[in-house]
Amino acid sequence: MDAADFVNLMVSALLLAGIYAAMSVGMTIIYGVMKIVNLAHAGFLMLGAYYVLELHEQLNIDPLVGSVLAFPAFLLAGMLVHWTLVKRIPVSDQPTLASLLLMFGLWLVLQNIGYLIWGSSDRSILTSRTLSSMHLGPITIPTVRVMVFIPAVCSLGLLEFVLRKTWYGRAVRALMQNRYAGRLAGIPVEKMARLTFGVGIGFAGAAGGLLAQLYSFSPDFGHGFLLRSFVIIVLGGLESFWGAAAGALVLALVETFSILVLPAGYQPAIAFSLLVLALVLLPGGIAGIFAKKHRWA
Amino acid sequence: MQMGRFLNYRLAGWGTLLMVLGILPWLGISSNLTRLLFTALVWIIASVAWNLLGGVTGQVSFGFAVFYGLGAYAAAMGINGGLHPLAAFTFSGLVAALASVFIGLPTFRLRGPYFAIATIGVSEAVRVVMTNLSFTGGASGYRIAEHGRFRPLEHYYTALGFSAVAVVISAWIHESRFGLSLQAVREDEEAAADIGVNPLKAKLMVHLLAATLTGIAGGVYARYAAYIHPQGVFGFHTSVAILLMPIIGGAGTVAGPVIGGFVYGLVQEELVAAFPQFHLLLYGALLIVIILFEPQGVTGWLGKLRGFIERIWRKSATASVG
Amino acid sequence: MPPLLSVERLTKYFAGLAALQDVSFEVEEGQICGLIGPNGAGKTTLFSIIAGSVSPSSGTITYSGKDVTRWKSFQAVRAGVARTHQITRPFRSMTTRQNVEMGLYFGRGPVSGSTSNEVAEILEGVGLGRVADRPAASLCVGDQKRLELARTLAAKPKLLLCDEVCSGLTETEMNEVLDLLRRSRERGTTILYVEHNMRAIMSTCDQVVVLNFGEKLTEGPPMKIQNDPAVIEAYLGKTAAG
Repeated sequence: MDAADFVNLMVSALLLAGIYAAMSVGMTIIYGVMKIVNLAHAGFLMLGAYYVLELHEQLNIDPLVGSVLAFPAFLLAGMLVHWTLVKRIPVSDQPTLASLLLMFGLWLVLQNIGYLIWGSSDRSILTSRTLSSMHLGPITIPTVRVMVFIPAVCSLGLLEFVLRKTWYGRAVRALMQNRYAGRLAGIPVEKMARLTFGVGIGFAGAAGGLLAQLYSFSPDFGHGFLLRSFVIIVLGGLESFWGAAAGALVLALVETFSILVLPAGYQPAIAFSLLVLALVLLPGGIAGIFAKKHRWA
Repeated sequence: MQMGRFLNYRLAGWGTLLMVLGILPWLGISSNLTRLLFTALVWIIASVAWNLLGGVTGQVSFGFAVFYGLGAYAAAMGINGGLHPLAAFTFSGLVAALASVFIGLPTFRLRGPYFAIATIGVSEAVRVVMTNLSFTGGASGYRIAEHGRFRPLEHYYTALGFSAVAVVISAWIHESRFGLSLQAVREDEEAAADIGVNPLKAKLMVHLLAATLTGIAGGVYARYAAYIHPQGVFGFHTSVAILLMPIIGGAGTVAGPVIGGFVYGLVQEELVAAFPQFHLLLYGALLIVIILFEPQGVTGWLGKLRGFIERIWRKSATASVG
Repeated sequence: MPPLLSVERLTKYFAGLAALQDVSFEVEEGQICGLIGPNGAGKTTLFSIIAGSVSPSSGTITYSGKDVTRWKSFQAVRAGVARTHQITRPFRSMTTRQNVEMGLYFGRGPVSGSTSNEVAEILEGVGLGRVADRPAASLCVGDQKRLELARTLAAKPKLLLCDEVCSGLTETEMNEVLDLLRRSRERGTTILYVEHNMRAIMSTCDQVVVLNFGEKLTEGPPMKIQNDPAVIEAYLGKTAAG
């Protein structure tokens, strides 16, 4: 393998990392503030993909724009889900079994809704960008990957800005550190929880739309990405944003470069194995190692 | 150990059930019903097993299909290699037991949801490997070449026998010190350790037991089906089924997983046949309803019903006196 | 005779903060040794380390002549070192009786065939006989404290670590508990005992160790401690409850 190939793979991995990071941010926020492991995240990724597909096919809206439009739609949907379901289960400083199973049940329901509306065949979003590539010197990148990477990174940047500079962001970070103290400080915890859950789902929907431009999908689409999101969050530490970004990078690198040594069929097992390894060896995630530097607050 | 109450009341109930199930085939039920009952009984083995780890000990696994699948393949390969079916099932149990140690040692260090997610990872990883492994048939699956006629009753009674064993083991655990320690681990692992329970050892032991039973269930199924493939026996939906049953029926109880197994086994087939597009929705909705309104599942609901009836009974008794 | 428990230069850091710094003391067999100090002095941390729930950053703990610095809590219980929790941790889904049975079954033992008599005796001893078959979650605070103590005693410890067993109790209840502790000592149990209530400490302890800000301030018999100006100063602001 020569230098050009290596650089190509590297760039591929970096682009993928950005998207993976955007994909997992939704789960990180929900977990960090509410200590809920959102298994339904997969379902919302899937619905986001179909949402953007429909916008593209029915209204001729460019999928990138569609992904941006998905955010407010899914924000509202997330708030609705919280209001009807999530707020009825007991909250805790520790993740609970009830929340895990509830979200899992919701995921099953979402999958079925997907099957009912769109059937089980694979779909994909094709635009003029899908098959073209960009050439920067020796590097060849599929255009669509770059076009998806940019909004992904922008959304992460926006999120970071919100978290650091706005009242809402500070409140979120406070709740992530200590829910009870946040309540005492006057943060309206229930409203915050609802809004934050919505934000998490909003990110899931938007990320789904972005992913739909890279991969074909069917109603059980979220499944593989759910596990990847877990890997990323666990690698990065479930409560640290930069850690999640680092985790995304590690996963993307391992996945991209693994095709050099493993037959393609085994590739999905990489994410799974990495997940188990990460859970076992890095209980605090990568961010746990760099303890103080890269936490939400 | 309240032996008197245990022996009289519950034993009679279970004994009756066992007798009924044992006699049914002789009464001439349809082969379809036999098939349904067989399926339910196999599921019950796995359901009871999962409940020991998930319900009693509180370690919720989303990846029990790994033991089911390993047991299925172990039995299948054993029978093809000339083993007597019972020996093959023993082999299933052993393989699953061994796997449980390898899986449990690293994963039991993890807290609740992390453990659950890790189990998904393990199960899926094994599924992917099995899909790519050529000597087990890979994605195309594996066939058992068993000679002789297909005898549905033999499969039925095998399943009945093993599920009875599973229920007996479950009942014994519920009344034993070991069971009490598992309950303590579920509730407050640190306090359990502070009173002398070794949490890791307890978890590993119950995990081994549960895995063995689930492996046997997989083996019994494999022999019946005569054809297995990774997407089926190692599939995530199999893990889902195994965990849904005890939760529907009532996690942490003896009867719960059995109820859940019957509900799932009998209803599932009909449901999938009649409303193939809705079954995920139904299970998801059922799970949501259970979590929100009756976390104890059917047994919880039955308990409430019983309490309700008792209160009415008492009211009418005092009314007649006064 | 060598001390039953010997703590040497025990230090524990939590994320850079020294919860315990170079703490050393000894407890003789058959003693009731009190451990006092203002809130945050490190008493519960010290207990957790001795009992095996937490491992120290440095230092040694010797029990019955053996180095047990890094043992796990269930190993400690089997060897005869058991603790109560400051904030009670009953097994809520079990009955009072079952909670005590836990201590009996998994403690130092030996456990004879029929345990129901022993359990009943322990329950009567702490005054929980009447609530024996109620779920532990339904007990009031005082009863929960008694349950905590009963459960730990059922494990037949040689060294009993009591973490503020008297807090939240009425005067009468407290006297009952102190009686119980004295009776345990008569039966051969050594007791290390964290408490804020001065009267309790003065009336039961043979010796007292004082902690402040993670360090050992001083130690000695109760009368000496009571009059020690450094100890009084460390406690300034604390309500004199007795």
